[in-house]
Amino acid sequence: MRSLLDYLVKFSYVFLFIILEILSLVLLFGFNDRQKLAFMTSANSVSGSIAELCSNVDVYFNLRRENTFLVEENARLRSMLYEFTDSQIVRKARIMSSVGVIAARVVDNSVRKDDNYMTVNKGTNDGVEKGMGVYNTTGVIGVVIASGKSYSLVMPILNGNTSISSKIKGTDNFGFLEWQGGDPYTAQLKDVPYHSKVEVGDTVVTTGFSSVFPENITVGTVSDVQRSSNGYTLKILVSLAVDFSDLGWVYIHSKTVDPEIIELQKQLK
Amino acid sequence: MDTFMRRFGTFVFVALIQILFLNRISLFGYVTPLFYIWLIVKFDSYMKRSGMLLWAFFLGLVLDMFSGTPGLNAASATLLAMVQPGIVKMFVQTERYEQLFPGSATMGGRPFAGYLLIMTVLHHTVYFILRSIPLGDWSVLVLKVVFSTLLTFIFMIVAERLTLSSSSKR
Repeated sequence: MRSLLDYLVKFSYVFLFIILEILSLVLLFGFNDRQKLAFMTSANSVSGSIAELCSNVDVYFNLRRENTFLVEENARLRSMLYEFTDSQIVRKARIMSSVGVIAARVVDNSVRKDDNYMTVNKGTNDGVEKGMGVYNTTGVIGVVIASGKSYSLVMPILNGNTSISSKIKGTDNFGFLEWQGGDPYTAQLKDVPYHSKVEVGDTVVTTGFSSVFPENITVGTVSDVQRSSNGYTLKILVSLAVDFSDLGWVYIHSKTVDPEIIELQKQLK
Repeated sequence: MDTFMRRFGTFVFVALIQILFLNRISLFGYVTPLFYIWLIVKFDSYMKRSGMLLWAFFLGLVLDMFSGTPGLNAASATLLAMVQPGIVKMFVQTERYEQLFPGSATMGGRPFAGYLLIMTVLHHTVYFILRSIPLGDWSVLVLKVVFSTLLTFIFMIVAERLTLSSSSKR
């Protein structure tokens, strides 16, 4: 009996090994719930603030380019302003009143994994909530999937689970933009009907059907059009407008949804 | 306590290097050096086996928190710490193992390099298999393991050189 106990004590590290491995594997394969994922990744405030410290340094190297972006955007907004007549501005302003834009900075980011995530430095304290769309001056980036007090986790287009309702600019032919992994500059627009007139070079924009994104935010340009294997829809390759490996400031689109729409959607469920 | 603090220093050092610098490297889309196993490579034979496992597990866990991969580094690092003493014994005579701090000075240059290589290949194979489950493309997996191993190996050889030259100056 004594020797058995000695034996067990001597090899207790084997049990420890088994316990630690099981723990790791549970972490690895058990974490599908996005909220828990947000805790583990940099949306949790400790690693979030360290990631922000790192990106604070990066920011200085990009100042000049960020400035150019802002000036360009200013110019574009001004030109839009002049296009509107007074009454249009008033009408537009009424629609826009329920819409807010929150500026945030990307503090942690990846593009080379199969499922990428990024962290931005605004959270529930700033009004960011799950389900809000994220874009910048060049185009659509992704959707907020979890937010902590001062950081939020964003699922960008470069994630196998992202699907963004998009259309060919100027038409009503819409589909869902999904990413197949690998190349961080290309995604696929699915479910566009076969009869649609789509040409290489056409611009792909958001539909604005869901309240996640406003309408007509650029997603990218069509780089290739094929008939999909089922024959009824097109397989459209889209070269993305946003360079995900190089993100600084982003906008988070917060729109309070009309309670009537929520009520209708509830009835469906 | 002194050895504990020194090991803790190494822990912080490899974790910082990995998080701030190496995690951002991504050659050809899938080659990432995982230099942090340096801590485990340098485990000496005076350590308790359970201590080794705990150090490795927590190092993996910390790295996982920063790379958004819960459990991935923890699982592969713990496994490596479990087999480390066995692999060291493959490269030194048994009587010398009793008091060994793995390094090119104690083991000899070539055996140490072989030891590094086996440790790296083992860790990277487990790491990339776990990371790419469900397994799809085997050829990509092999490429990832081979090139990342190469890069990690080079980093560790450089680190060994640096520690050797700094200790000989003293």
